[in-house]
Amino acid sequence: MFGARRFVENLLHQRRHGRLRVDPASDAELRTAILLRSARVGADSVREEFVSSLHQRLAAEMGEGPASVPLGRRTLIVRLGVTAAASAAVGAGLDHVLTSHAEPTPGTPQPAQQLTPDDGGWTTVARAADLPEGSSVRFDLGTVTGFVTRTHNQVRAVSGVCTHLGCQLDLDAPARTLNCPCHGATFSVTGAVVEHRLRVPLPPLPRIEAREVDGAIQVFAPPSSGG
Amino acid sequence: MVGAEAYPNWEAIYRNNVGWVYRMLFAKVGSRPDAEDLTTEVFLAALGPLRTSASVREVRSYLVTTARTVLADHWRRTLGREITTLDENLAEPEPEDSGGGLDRLADAERILAELPENYRAVLRLRYLLGHSLKDAAGAMGVTVGNVKVLQHRALKAAARIAERIGV
Repeated sequence: MFGARRFVENLLHQRRHGRLRVDPASDAELRTAILLRSARVGADSVREEFVSSLHQRLAAEMGEGPASVPLGRRTLIVRLGVTAAASAAVGAGLDHVLTSHAEPTPGTPQPAQQLTPDDGGWTTVARAADLPEGSSVRFDLGTVTGFVTRTHNQVRAVSGVCTHLGCQLDLDAPARTLNCPCHGATFSVTGAVVEHRLRVPLPPLPRIEAREVDGAIQVFAPPSSGG
Repeated sequence: MVGAEAYPNWEAIYRNNVGWVYRMLFAKVGSRPDAEDLTTEVFLAALGPLRTSASVREVRSYLVTTARTVLADHWRRTLGREITTLDENLAEPEPEDSGGGLDRLADAERILAELPENYRAVLRLRYLLGHSLKDAAGAMGVTVGNVKVLQHRALKAAARIAERIGV
């Protein structure tokens, strides 16, 4: 009884509901209150300020690295629940719409790790002239394998080993992806997970420091195993 | 956009769909802050796993599925049970569709039409026109206390009618 009145008052004053105890016998009243309140002319137009603030938040979420906007606990819990439940509900029909059925770990998307060896040095892996804008080149230093890519006139390098079980990735140059021959995971050439069908979370590829010096593309890597 | 096309990027997915996702949820919760919270949850949950190569139809379908789960979680959190749900067989929503509000207004008017005059007046003033208790009391020529009692009884009566006529 009291819960139902509180619910209606929240609704009329457009306040968020806390946890409420309402007699199920009042459910029809709550539904009718929702119907009447939502029928108000113009009530359902979305605020432009809300649209742009959510846009900014999503941009932070979709960007690389940790989100700059902290997730509320409530959002995080729901988010995990939703993704799992939605995946289950969608079933096979929408499989190909999703990049993954994996349970996201708290704080998704996972930030890429930076591979910075304790005892490393700059090693040339390609000539700058052999790495035009938009291209990628594989390198193998014995200790580390990876791919260097020039994108937006920046040189970037990522590990060439799948973060699932360690298979060596293949470069698909036209698609600008790195594909795993073992279970079909696909990464972008800058290391982000593009697609996978694993039931475990798949981290992005570790980044490796890279630079262009005097016509050479170099990565910061441990000394080669040969010496 | 037509159903088989794909979006160029996640921002296009967001811009094209945030409006109808919000309206769809608002119709089920009746409150702007709740509808904004739930819309936020839907896009936070859905955009990550969605491939931008998915077609417009697939994206909308996935957003509806996600919204259904988010709404169910919202009610379980606040009331412990789901008092409104998103239809399992929701027809493919059109982002340009703005007819939902008019449908609800028509349903509301059907309910109001069956109520006694003072019940109809109090619900119209408080819910459809958004009058404060004081303004509603002034408009009806009764006390604020009367309005509180009336709106409570009127809602009970309206709920019985809603159940009977199936809206």
